[in-house]
Amino acid sequence: MAVTEHPGTQNSATPRFAQLLTKGLRSGATLGLPLISFAFILGIWTLVGLSGVVKEAIFPAPWSVWSATVEMWQNGTLQTDLAKSLGRAAVGFSIGGTLGVTLGLMTGRVALVRTLLNPFLNLLRPIPAIALVPVAIVWFGIGEGSKYFVVSYTVFLTVWFNTHHGMQYVPETYLRASRTLGASRLREFLTVVLPAAAPHIFAGIRLGVALAFLSLVAAELSGASSGIGFRLQEARQYVRTDRMFSLLILLGILGALADLIVHWIGKKLVHWEQG
Amino acid sequence: MMTDATQPKGRVEIDDVVIRFTGKQGRVTALERTSHALEPGTFTALIGPSGCGKSTLMNAIAGFVTPAEGAIRLDGRAITGPSPEVGVIFQQYALFPWFTALNNVRYGLKQFGLSKREEIDRARAALAEVGLEAHADKYPQQLSGGMKQRVAIARTFAVEPKVLLMDEPFGALDAQTRLVMHDLLLGIWRKHKATVLFVTHDVDEALLLADHVQVMSHAPGRLIRHYHLTQERPRALSRSGNELLEIRDEILGLLHPKTMLADAL
Repeated sequence: MAVTEHPGTQNSATPRFAQLLTKGLRSGATLGLPLISFAFILGIWTLVGLSGVVKEAIFPAPWSVWSATVEMWQNGTLQTDLAKSLGRAAVGFSIGGTLGVTLGLMTGRVALVRTLLNPFLNLLRPIPAIALVPVAIVWFGIGEGSKYFVVSYTVFLTVWFNTHHGMQYVPETYLRASRTLGASRLREFLTVVLPAAAPHIFAGIRLGVALAFLSLVAAELSGASSGIGFRLQEARQYVRTDRMFSLLILLGILGALADLIVHWIGKKLVHWEQG
Repeated sequence: MMTDATQPKGRVEIDDVVIRFTGKQGRVTALERTSHALEPGTFTALIGPSGCGKSTLMNAIAGFVTPAEGAIRLDGRAITGPSPEVGVIFQQYALFPWFTALNNVRYGLKQFGLSKREEIDRARAALAEVGLEAHADKYPQQLSGGMKQRVAIARTFAVEPKVLLMDEPFGALDAQTRLVMHDLLLGIWRKHKATVLFVTHDVDEALLLADHVQVMSHAPGRLIRHYHLTQERPRALSRSGNELLEIRDEILGLLHPKTMLADAL
């Protein structure tokens, strides 16, 4: 057989190194650039603190926020609050995410389920998590149940919506190819439909993580006796802006870390989507 | 053309078939009443202007589209949906990007319930047939267009379909790669003896490859001319005699009637 075509991947030995180099530089930049931004903001914040133009009680300086953090750590509330809040976010996210993916796969594939549920679910989507808090308290009391409910509800809707849409975008030629190759419907679903929808499902899960934090704080702001949201509320009563700032910054860092982790897992699992 | 007397399988009968679509402007006829048969082991090229319904006819044989009237039969049995007896090679390859080349080929072999060892061996053999054994563990994104289509060919032939449908399979490839693919396809086809229907809009490609060339009219499509080519392969328009060149001119005339040519100028 006279096969003389040059494989496009073999003559790339030299660009390979260059690719690695630019890749290294780029990941260095992605790590470094945010640091520049943080240093910049911290610098301005420090200057404002030093100048003394704004009252400490209104806008605390960085060192006050730091010592408030240390204080909360030393009396142990910070650890318990973080553990409580992260636990609630994790439980709520797991319930909501699992339900969202499962139902999304069903409404995406089964016309009957779609007809029965989609209009209703779309009606729920604009209802914000915070509006559900009163209902959640009536139903589940002020214990953990109401927090789980609010978080999982919010996560569920977003994950469902994205999963459902991912299912709509499975390319027709993949299904056609699969059927001419004699695959059973189950195998087609598991090894063609699911991977084809996976990028959308992961986009939904990533949004779900962010929303888990948002709705968690909403739930904790009213009717809780621990957690970051509760501690924020408490800090308001004592006008402890330094504690508020500390908690808000921690919330931001936790959310960003969670997003990074999910993004990283998604990239590993949906490896073919790169570039 | 040598025929395999022991296995006269893969006869496609297109019996009084009409295909219609419901579009924005109501019902549109994509394929006018057509009757035709593809004999087992023959290589037919279907050529026609774009939008004439040649892909529609192919999709109906694949079982993707149901005819409004008439029936399509494979060895006497009506085609009611896609099946591994009718393999399809798509223009855009349709390889699964989450599988390596090897696992793409294995996907079609799963239905036979082979042992894992046997399945891998057969998939490797299929890749070797298209000269890609060294690239078995690469993902489609790491392969060139020509290599992707070779994986697709290996994947389809590995399940031994009786009929092979190809929808402008080399349309996205450069001229050089195309010629390589022609040799490769003819080699594999001779070995597997499937009945081939090859949709193209490239007259030269049709003349180089096929036993039978069917020319389709502008939409709504119907078969308007048939040529039976008996020239030895491998063919080249320059050395396979004047007959091919004359046929080529005729087909070009059918595809681009003078009036349309005048419009274009």
